[in-house]
Amino acid sequence: MWVKLILLLLFSLMIFGAVHFAVPSEREHASSSTERVRSVRLLTWNIGYAELEDDTRAHDKDLPAVADVILREDPDAVALQELTGNSQLKTLLGLLHGKYRGAVAQQGNGDRVEAVLVKDVAAVFTTVPAAGRYAIAASFKTRAPVRSILVLSAHADAFNAARRRRYTEALIDWAEDRTQSADVFIAGDFNFELKAANETNLYTDNLKHDSESYSHILRYFRDLGRDAGDTAINDRRIDYVFGPPAVEQAGRIEVLRSVAVGRMDHWPLLVELDVS
Amino acid sequence: MFTLLKLELEKLFRARSFYLSFLVLIGFVVLMLWGFYTYAERKTGGQAVEQFKYTYESKQYFNGLTFALYSLLFSFTLLLPIFVSMSAGSQIAGEARAGTLRMICTRPISRASLILSKFLVTALHALLLLAFFIGLNLVVGLIFVGWGNLELYPGPLNLVDAPGKIMRDEALMRFGYAVLSGTWALLVIAALALLCSVISDSPVQATVMTIAAYLTLYIVGRVEFFDHLRPYFFTTDMDFWRDVFKPDIPWQSLGHYACVCGAYTAGLLLATVVIFERKDIVT
Repeated sequence: MWVKLILLLLFSLMIFGAVHFAVPSEREHASSSTERVRSVRLLTWNIGYAELEDDTRAHDKDLPAVADVILREDPDAVALQELTGNSQLKTLLGLLHGKYRGAVAQQGNGDRVEAVLVKDVAAVFTTVPAAGRYAIAASFKTRAPVRSILVLSAHADAFNAARRRRYTEALIDWAEDRTQSADVFIAGDFNFELKAANETNLYTDNLKHDSESYSHILRYFRDLGRDAGDTAINDRRIDYVFGPPAVEQAGRIEVLRSVAVGRMDHWPLLVELDVS
Repeated sequence: MFTLLKLELEKLFRARSFYLSFLVLIGFVVLMLWGFYTYAERKTGGQAVEQFKYTYESKQYFNGLTFALYSLLFSFTLLLPIFVSMSAGSQIAGEARAGTLRMICTRPISRASLILSKFLVTALHALLLLAFFIGLNLVVGLIFVGWGNLELYPGPLNLVDAPGKIMRDEALMRFGYAVLSGTWALLVIAALALLCSVISDSPVQATVMTIAAYLTLYIVGRVEFFDHLRPYFFTTDMDFWRDVFKPDIPWQSLGHYACVCGAYTAGLLLATVVIFERKDIVT
């Protein structure tokens, strides 16, 4: 009898404990066309290091190499990710001999920021809030100004597909609102893990979130670097340039695989486009 | 009660299956070591094979503590529950099959005490298994790989959302906590197997019933189509034991799920006692 009483008491105690410790539960898009054809060259590059390094942000000692690549490829706009802050951007702008102007995004909860660099001295920079993170946008004009060009530098969460999805949705909402007045390009590291060929999970929500995020972007924009191949080590294509659906390729769309320095795990993606 | 426990312990240490379970765990660790070793070789080339401690990505990541963690997490889900089921499933049904159950029940001890003593012995078996397995992994990890800090990354282990690190000494303590939290989680299996042992007359049938129930819920719980059902599976609650390896142990959540598992264990034991007291023993 006493055994049953003890077990009953234990059972009741456990139920009470479980309740006590219960953790409370948390485009229409139409691209306009002009009669004049303009070309624009964009570069996106996550210049941080692989995730197993002590400091995975961009390293100051790599900035001369990054500047060399930018000066050699001569893009109209550059989207960079994983800078440590404004001081690093200033160092880089100095190495670019004043050819570019730039701005960094507001630092959210993380310890790294995105930056965008443009040649146009009249460029306007805007911080874009997106689901607790921030991107940075630059609005500028190239050689034959009719419509302005808007380039966003973005960096989605590396570890959580649901957060990536929220970020992407907020970003695309912001960008899509501006496609009437500008040619909008979204460039950066989105960390979409869409290659499911070797997955051993039966089914995961992560794949679903990334797939949904990517599909949402493609409703309004085109994946311009789609055929350029992997952009990061371990066979990952996680860096993208999305642009207006009507934009045409003007020259190279290429992943520059020989230019990474130090322990960088990404390569820059370069796209040359005719914007009409 | 103490005499009863002493007798049950003697039966446990005399059983061949007790030593077989330890042998199988040794074999598993050997397999894990082989897999770890060849993986490092594939990733880093022939030179690293001699040293084994370095990868092309990071000098610190593949150390003995990481090896022990991977080995423990892979084995806990499917290997250890089998041995616990076998041990608990044979307690009553094994005695019935051997024809000794009726004799035991004629002695001046309550059937409830008998159930309790058999459960405590099974719990001890689970504790010894887990302590041995973790200790073996740590020793093997130290000898063949070397200890370091425990680096945690988002990925297959599903322990963290962002990279984290547990310093070596603290990580060793966490393995100690895992012995306790893991044993507590396995007690749910033990209680279920003991209930099946009382219901069934065959130890094999009792073990199979337990494993079938466990695997069904485990597999269904891993398919995200059934995400909304997962909170109702005891296999989901059992996963709490892994939380001791998070950089910051979520004590409240751990307490909650430990109590849920405790409620399962106590409830199943109570049901076992009630059924066994009313059971007509004919063998």
